[in-house]
Amino acid sequence: MPMTRREVIQSGIAVGAGVAVSGAAIVSARGKQDHADASGPSTVRNLDTLKNIPAKPGEDPLMRMQRDLVKAMAKPMEQRHWVMVIDQRKCVGCHACTVSCIAENHLPPGVVYRPVVIEESGSFPNIKLEFTPRPCMQCDQPPCVPVCPVSATWKRADGIVAVDYDACIGCRYCLTACPYGARTSDFGEDYQAKAAIGADGQAVAGAQATPNEGKPSPEYGKSWDRKGHASPAGNARKCHFCLHKLENGQLPACTSTCIGRATYFGDSNDPDSLVSELITKHNVQTLLPHKGTRPRVYYIV
Amino acid sequence: MSNDNDQALKTRRGFLAGGALLGTGLFASILGASEDRQVATGAAILDTTRPDSPDPRVDGGNVILTACLQCNTGCGIKCRMQDGVVTKIDGNPYAPWTLLPHLPYATKAADALPVDGGICPKGQAGLQSAYDPYRIRKVLKRAGRRGENKWVSIPFTQAIQEISDGGKLFADVPGEADRVVQGLKSLMTLTDGKLAKAMAGAVKKIWDEKDKAKKAALVAAFKSEFAAHLDKLIDPDHPDLGPKNNQIVVNWGRLKDGRGDFYKRFAAALGTTNAHGHTTVCQGSLYFTCKAISEQYIGGKFSDGQKFYWQADTENSAFILFVGANLFEANYGPPNRTVRLTGNLVSGKTRIAVADPRFSKLASKAWKWLPLKPGTDTAVAMAIMRWMFDEKRIDAKFLGCANKAAAKAAGEDSWSNATWLVAIKDGRPGKLVRAADIGLIAAEKRKVVDKETKEEKEYDEKFFVVMVGGKPTAVDPNDDKAAVTGDLFVDATLADGTKVKSGLQILRDNASERSVAEWAAIADVKADDVIAVARELTSHGKQAAVDIHRGPAQHTNGFYNVLSWMSINMLLGNFDAKGGMIKATTYDTGGKGKWFDLKAHPGKVASFGVSSIRHGVDYEKTTLFSGYPAKRNWYPLSSDMYQEVIPSIGDAYPYPCKVLFTYMGAPTYALPAGHTNIEILCDLEKVPLYVANDILVGSSSMYADYIFPDTSFLERWEFQGSHPSIPNRVQPVRQPVIPPIPEDVTVFGQAHPANLEAMILGFAEYLKLPGFGDHGFAEGKPLKHQDDLMLRGVGNLAFGEKADGSASLPDADEAEIGMFLQARRFLPKSVFDPERWKATVGAAMWPKLVYLLNRGGRFEDHEKGHKGERHAHPYAALLNLYQEKTAGTIHSGTGKPNPGVATWLPVRGYDGKEPEALRQGHDLALVTHRTITQTKSRTIADPWLSPVMPDNGILVHPDDAARLGLAAGQLVKVVSATNPGGEWPLGAGRTKAMVGRVVTTQTVRPGVISFALGFGHWSTGAGDLVVDGHLIKGEPRRQAGVHANAAMWIDPALKNTCMVDPVGGSVSFYDTQVKLVPVALAT
Repeated sequence: MPMTRREVIQSGIAVGAGVAVSGAAIVSARGKQDHADASGPSTVRNLDTLKNIPAKPGEDPLMRMQRDLVKAMAKPMEQRHWVMVIDQRKCVGCHACTVSCIAENHLPPGVVYRPVVIEESGSFPNIKLEFTPRPCMQCDQPPCVPVCPVSATWKRADGIVAVDYDACIGCRYCLTACPYGARTSDFGEDYQAKAAIGADGQAVAGAQATPNEGKPSPEYGKSWDRKGHASPAGNARKCHFCLHKLENGQLPACTSTCIGRATYFGDSNDPDSLVSELITKHNVQTLLPHKGTRPRVYYIV
Repeated sequence: MSNDNDQALKTRRGFLAGGALLGTGLFASILGASEDRQVATGAAILDTTRPDSPDPRVDGGNVILTACLQCNTGCGIKCRMQDGVVTKIDGNPYAPWTLLPHLPYATKAADALPVDGGICPKGQAGLQSAYDPYRIRKVLKRAGRRGENKWVSIPFTQAIQEISDGGKLFADVPGEADRVVQGLKSLMTLTDGKLAKAMAGAVKKIWDEKDKAKKAALVAAFKSEFAAHLDKLIDPDHPDLGPKNNQIVVNWGRLKDGRGDFYKRFAAALGTTNAHGHTTVCQGSLYFTCKAISEQYIGGKFSDGQKFYWQADTENSAFILFVGANLFEANYGPPNRTVRLTGNLVSGKTRIAVADPRFSKLASKAWKWLPLKPGTDTAVAMAIMRWMFDEKRIDAKFLGCANKAAAKAAGEDSWSNATWLVAIKDGRPGKLVRAADIGLIAAEKRKVVDKETKEEKEYDEKFFVVMVGGKPTAVDPNDDKAAVTGDLFVDATLADGTKVKSGLQILRDNASERSVAEWAAIADVKADDVIAVARELTSHGKQAAVDIHRGPAQHTNGFYNVLSWMSINMLLGNFDAKGGMIKATTYDTGGKGKWFDLKAHPGKVASFGVSSIRHGVDYEKTTLFSGYPAKRNWYPLSSDMYQEVIPSIGDAYPYPCKVLFTYMGAPTYALPAGHTNIEILCDLEKVPLYVANDILVGSSSMYADYIFPDTSFLERWEFQGSHPSIPNRVQPVRQPVIPPIPEDVTVFGQAHPANLEAMILGFAEYLKLPGFGDHGFAEGKPLKHQDDLMLRGVGNLAFGEKADGSASLPDADEAEIGMFLQARRFLPKSVFDPERWKATVGAAMWPKLVYLLNRGGRFEDHEKGHKGERHAHPYAALLNLYQEKTAGTIHSGTGKPNPGVATWLPVRGYDGKEPEALRQGHDLALVTHRTITQTKSRTIADPWLSPVMPDNGILVHPDDAARLGLAAGQLVKVVSATNPGGEWPLGAGRTKAMVGRVVTTQTVRPGVISFALGFGHWSTGAGDLVVDGHLIKGEPRRQAGVHANAAMWIDPALKNTCMVDPVGGSVSFYDTQVKLVPVALAT
């Protein structure tokens, strides 16, 4: 799969070139974290999502997956295991997932959780285009976790590798440790900052017209208001399968917006889920399996 | 490795680089106090003291369903808001665009809330178009030279008065101190309905008279009859140019129903016949060829052709050949068609082939790719048809059906005229033979309702003729009782000596002019590939189709390319069949004879006269006829020729224009050779007054004298309509979601957001236009606010298609009404006032209206789209494989008649010659493509889309790059014979070079280069503006990339327009040849 050494190095260079935050002081200030995720009965969600919409044969896979999701949420957190399956045969390289994720998680410039890599091979007229969406692999052996000096990132019992932005000191060790380049650093930038300069207060609406940029991100069900370079500005950021959406009985933003229905999501602990059906097929692969990371994002080729 | 345009995503650096262009900064909301509501999920996820997210994720009080307009696919969308600010857009699960099958319409609104459908990246980023910092809030008036981009903001009422009254409007602008501008008032000379009707009738008589001397006499008679009113005409010697009102030209880009009703009512009230759209820059020849195919035989004439087209029933086809269609990235469009295809491709239910000079993302999923040379569509279609005829793999049963009764008997809904006999005169197919003319049967007196007068009149029905077992037989096309099945291939001489052929015979003769190999050689595709595709097409019965889009249409031979491909569909007999050709079906918003007649326009003055783009009439009929070539082309079969609107004004042909209105259009950017339009717009003599309506200072509105602000797609009403590949009857409704960015103004005494409707209402109030005000629709039925039209249109939808109201929607329950009100709590009263809304539609309609708006429109349930193996909403009418009407038209440039059947024509200029001189020294064929992240002129406003593809570059095959010594990444200028400088002249002395970086890729055919549309902007937030003395800098991000439309050929004979399809009206997008000139890297 297309993950070259050069890319990893490049991402390292980019990080090095960024605004360096002195680690030591913050490490001591924030201290080592111990993450005891909520588990057991308090994490059971008896959602009535789709209760009044009867399942029908031939329904959109989005509906089937959302039903699977509601079922999984009715179990305690430690009994579900979220996985993603991406059918490259159905991916059309539209980047809807990429942008939906940017919108859902209020990602600033330079931060992306789910790029789609497009590769061309062959020669005219025998050509191939391959589309590879690349979310965080939510590895069962995540190399990003042990390198974190403050334990701000950890593997949850439901399979998701989480980051606590309040704990993260922005050292970016995890960015280099990830062989998939799945993490990016938030430099605290904004998309519209330099647009319509000089317009403020004049006939042209100017910066007043971008109220969406000021809204806090809902990641992890928490309120992340970036004002004044607060978290997650300055932190490492990555895909978390839209945990906050799962809690509300909704699929991750990339999955629900996939126009080719190439992205599947669900609980691999549920033998009846759609993802469980899919990941046992012979044409399923994972990325960089030799790295021993045991990724939980699967590709159908 | 070489790469695609999306190369930025090869590494994450693309995002970082994109980010590096932008700085930091945070903006406060302008939208009032926070109404944060806690959702108790955070604690379960993250064990910290940080507060839980205030994002009310699944909460009906913060969700409004509407329709996207980031492109014209118009997907149903769900806008989720935080404190009245849209922060996330998803697909509306009630709409068949985003979920397959979509949710049953009866699903409770609350139950549908957690279900999101899929939409494309542009749709996701749509909120950034609405919240674009370059949006304008007040009327801007030009304060410098046209194109200089200097403005002052002025009160709305001042703008209305100045444009209406005229005068020395720009006395403060250097050089214009004494320039007197004619206002609307002075141009509205003809306002007497009775007089207008009489004049229109007299003009019709002039046009219907064929004899030159008698025509001249009729003109003289006109002048004496209307002697007292000649001052109302543009030119009394040419009364058929119509009244001076026609010198007001009303033009639009993307205009949908509702707003369309407003804008067209405005044009009608001004008394101008000139209300022109933009269809031909998109795929006009696809629409107008299908219009010609769909002409019906009514009252002895062919009329009522529909401006529409068919697509493959994507979700049910077994095999589809896509031609010049790029539906994973464009072409109405990504969400609705992709979801109907990818699952079937993987399951093996559907197989596709793609014909396109560029290996598109669609082609990457195809079983076979035919990389044809641009402009050779007909040759490939002919090769396929030749093979089908030779192998007898045509639907003989369908083609034999000569009338409605035969179709019914054969289990078909539609029928063709393939078997009807055509008279061959001097070797040329001309008119269809009439049975009464050859003595086969006596003419029959029949009655028909005249469409103009609405009166019943008598005519002679002469019937057509088919051969049945070699015997000439009369046929009535619309007879649903007596089936007539004709012989397919006829080449005979009738008893009276008339040489005749069946239409199908003529088509076969054309296809047989060359062998399959020879046809394939013209297109430079492999004959074996063509045959393999033809075999697949003919191996799945009616579940196979040719699905085309703008690729075949946007050529000088566009009409015949489209007709050739559509002829294959007729040979396949796949119309109205499940998996075959399908048309769009919508719920009616007009309401005539049902709930509320939205088209009623009391006091409307009948407009008449030659249109400013010379459409809908034969040149030869008019008093302007003076032999060939005509100064510019005439279009009897087409309309909405965008490339003619401004250039015709430039030539003052057929007459000079005084006031130009544009709405949501960017002709200068979007048209091939659009730069010719800039020069004309900058000319104060040719365009004395230009009024634009736009959400920002755009690439065309920047040349205007006044720009009225507008509400974006998240702030306004519209009825989006449908697309052919949606099998169900639908009508998505676009409704206000967020408070308007533009200021509120006062029209007819009410607060109203400053938008298109306000501008129209403002003029209507000031000029006392008929069809507006207290009795705009009828006595006591006002049109004084956008609500008056839009809410009643929604009411019509809710009332349904049955006159007795039995198809009305149910009432929304209390919970749904509560949700509806809660979600609109941030909208100002100028937009949403529940009491006003209730009063407008009445208490009985109100809960039905809420029910409909809570679902984002009206959508039929999925299973109702088909009945067994047939479409539930079939076309069910005559298909003209042979077009008598087309064959009766004459090319205004050459004086030669146009063919009435699919015919191979090479690329030609208006002079009828191949543009060999323009090709000399320019050997790269220039085409364009759409990328998923951009919609031509408007989506560059959305910064979320930039990281995916920051700029476009020029796709060059590595062999060409090597031959020309070009390296990947190198900057080159695009140069053609008609733009040797390779520059956009932007007016006011400014230019922009057409320079882009070379992207080497195997995905273009050698010899062809392509660039993605939507980049290389000079306005739309890319250029600097001065407003009220303040400089507002453009964003460099929006200037990135190259827009090479100005390299596209200017027609050598027309001189100020791109090359055109003289029949279908399309612009030529894909015929130009260019060269690439290396440019030193600017430092």
